[in-house]
Amino acid sequence: MICSSTNQAQRRFVRRMWVAAPLCILFSLAAALAVRHGHVTGVPAYLIAVFSALPILGAIVVTGLYLEEEKDEFQRNLLIQSMLAGIGATLAATEIWGNLENFIKAPHLDPIWVYPMFWVFVLLSYPVVRLRYR
Amino acid sequence: MKNRLRVLRAEREWSQADLAQRLEVSRQSVNAIETGKFDPSLPLAFKLARLFEISIEEIFTDESSGAELEVR
Repeated sequence: MICSSTNQAQRRFVRRMWVAAPLCILFSLAAALAVRHGHVTGVPAYLIAVFSALPILGAIVVTGLYLEEEKDEFQRNLLIQSMLAGIGATLAATEIWGNLENFIKAPHLDPIWVYPMFWVFVLLSYPVVRLRYR
Repeated sequence: MKNRLRVLRAEREWSQADLAQRLEVSRQSVNAIETGKFDPSLPLAFKLARLFEISIEEIFTDESSGAELEVR
């Protein structure tokens, strides 16, 4: 994806992600504002919580579609490795932060940041994974 | 896994980009296979064999096959 020459599947993936990513932010903000200012409780609060996660599922579907449509197995392999690195780094970072919260009363990390953190780690690991094949 | 891709490509005076275009993959994929850092799947190996009109075994060499034969 971070590549000078991109194929059709990659262009579609980027285009779809440009829709899914802002929706994730928008839905999360809308949910936070609704709960904070609308004093939503009970079933509507649960519904809003689920509603805000829908674009995240959408982004996962978009990624799945890309892996399905990408004919170049090497490029598929690069993304899968980057995502595995992203999962590992996110799990490690949240584990460390959780321990710091328990041990030295570090400020609480809102779980809402876990998803963007995952993609940041994926983006950071992608060029590193590519370097292995130079 | 070792392979003769670079030689076969050079014999035909194809660049990595030329081969990539014929295989419908990226140039990075061709480079990774050539340098032995990425082993292609069977379908891609067959595609390579068809393209060069030779068998898969004539392109790829399994480095562990010699050791296995000695054990037997």
